[in-house]
Amino acid sequence: MQKEIVIVGLNHRSAPIEVRESVAFEHSYVRDGLARLRAYPTILEGVILSTCNRVEVVAAASDGRLAFSHISEFLDDQKAQRHAASLDDHIYVYQGADAVRHLFRVAASLDSMVVGEPQILGQLKQYYDAAQQAGTVGAILHRLFHRSFSVAKRVRNETAIGSGAVSISSVAVDLAKRIFDRFDDKTVMLIGAGKMGDLMARHLQSHGARSLMVTNRTFERAVALAERIQGSPIRFEDFSRYLKLADLVIGCAGAADVLIDATTVERVLRERKQKTMFFLDIGDRRNFDAKINDLDNVYLYNIDDLKSVAEDNRLERSNEAEKAEGIVREEVASFVRWMDSLEQVPTITALRHRFEEIRRREIEKSLGGGLKDLSAQQRAALDDLTTAMINKLLHGPISQLKKNASEDGDDTTLYVAALKRLFDLERK
Amino acid sequence: MDAIILKLTALIYLLAAGSFFHYLFRGETAARLPTALLLLGFVIHSIALASRFFQEGFAGVAMMGHALLFNGWLMVGIYLLIQIKYHLSILGGIIAPLAFLMTFAAFAVGKGAAEIPPALQTYWLPVHVTLAFLGNAVFALAFGVSLIYLLQERRLKHKKMTALMKRFPPLESLDRLNYMLLVWGFPLMTLGILTGSLWAGIHWGNYWSWDPRQISSAIAWLFYAALLHGRITAGLRGKKAALLTMFGFCVVLGYFLWGDALFPSRHGGRFE
Repeated sequence: MQKEIVIVGLNHRSAPIEVRESVAFEHSYVRDGLARLRAYPTILEGVILSTCNRVEVVAAASDGRLAFSHISEFLDDQKAQRHAASLDDHIYVYQGADAVRHLFRVAASLDSMVVGEPQILGQLKQYYDAAQQAGTVGAILHRLFHRSFSVAKRVRNETAIGSGAVSISSVAVDLAKRIFDRFDDKTVMLIGAGKMGDLMARHLQSHGARSLMVTNRTFERAVALAERIQGSPIRFEDFSRYLKLADLVIGCAGAADVLIDATTVERVLRERKQKTMFFLDIGDRRNFDAKINDLDNVYLYNIDDLKSVAEDNRLERSNEAEKAEGIVREEVASFVRWMDSLEQVPTITALRHRFEEIRRREIEKSLGGGLKDLSAQQRAALDDLTTAMINKLLHGPISQLKKNASEDGDDTTLYVAALKRLFDLERK
Repeated sequence: MDAIILKLTALIYLLAAGSFFHYLFRGETAARLPTALLLLGFVIHSIALASRFFQEGFAGVAMMGHALLFNGWLMVGIYLLIQIKYHLSILGGIIAPLAFLMTFAAFAVGKGAAEIPPALQTYWLPVHVTLAFLGNAVFALAFGVSLIYLLQERRLKHKKMTALMKRFPPLESLDRLNYMLLVWGFPLMTLGILTGSLWAGIHWGNYWSWDPRQISSAIAWLFYAALLHGRITAGLRGKKAALLTMFGFCVVLGYFLWGDALFPSRHGGRFE
């Protein structure tokens, strides 16, 4: 039986978050969902993918058109009752080569909200594993998903799509890594208790920073924050005395006054023998004097600088995305060739059967009529003769078909369809 | 035969340079290919050098082309050693074209200066020349590291990130490597000057003859000594240290290339 790949789903572009959430599968219910999906007669294989940006059903179906309505129905059932509105406006459907392309693009993170983000591949693997455990993966989806994983790897290796941080705190860490080669011997000073500063300090800690000082105008808040992120609290009046110990200084105090000016930094640098310092001014208002950046061995980035680096990286990613689309195109073509070759094998078998059937019928007819006096030896010779004739007749077309499938698959579908029509192979 | 090997060396260094640039600016694969090419160039370079030494003896280094060939060989060798530990492929992007220019110049310049008189051909010759050239090679690498530091520093200050920057090592590692090269290069240079002076003392009877090469080496030596002192005691580092390192090498290189032509001396072939 011929199988078709079908994808029905909705993503961050086609549907608002409320709609996506109403359809989303909680992890523990995926198995349940797969069982329900498999119950439809048209769905032969199925994988459910459900992340905060997309809910999709990937299936191998016996009848594409019927499968669409079945999967739509399935998603409608899944939808929480509180959203009475129909999903029809938000759903997209892909079939055949388009479905293959869509899945490859999803895996390669070309369809993601933040193009190039690396999480999607892991999520894809996770949902594929779940489907495999539930027994809803067969030969086609097995091959399709494994192909999509290697497409994602190829895109990651051959393009710079995943490089270049695009969030503020990862840009800051990225910059810090271009200045310092390790963080475990560095000291971070966090001035102010803004949310962004907290986040950035944690990010630096996850990259190895161990020593952390926290200061705030209200000492109690500094103590509380220090406790939360395993730092040591410092009184606000004292922070400039401790400044010489800090390699990374994060300003996030909120208030609009300049807390550290260039003269102070110049003095601090002398005290620490010109060891490099990195200032990050990430509050809404500036806490550090912009002239600090003019000093040698000191780098100052404020929130706007970080945003513009992130923006540049985003632009670069979209350039790389074009390269990635080329890779996807190649891979889709080769996958479609494989699908076609699947179709070709049963057609060849059917063709042989058809010829053999005719041969046998005609021999039986003749042996029962005009040739009934033949000896056993002559009968065997007749059998050999007709078999050889059929083999010779079929040899040309079959080897041509096989050759076609292995070289360029474009014509294979056409030939297969022609053979089916000409010899009436789908009669059963 | 000799010339063919030499041209082959230059060609492979050129290929390595192209491959490094491809890696740096297009950058699809790891820097294995350019490093492998450089290593291959180094092996053939070694053969070319060995064949010269075999034919002409060590005294051939008095000739400009020969000296460049030997110096370039030391430079590539030290780079390859550094590469093992630091994976500083970007430095290869500077060393490979430099190695190409030096080997290319080696057969472009050809013979040049006169031969060293047999009386001078003692053990002092290889010892003095090798030490002095090792110092040069280490400072050439320090020059490359400093250049990379300045490029990276400028980008960070001007807040302009480029794809190329992602291949740059952190400033901290560059500065540390730069310091390490100074720490190695300075004693080598000192020994180069000392052995030369001792050799002169033994042969000519006076240790210091105000030979132009001696003077220029002394200037460069004082310069590097000040730099080292500043680094150790005054926290001289980063951009200033990189600039000074580059300047110091320019003094060494400038004299190496043109000094003997401008001021004929013992190093330039006047052995009296």
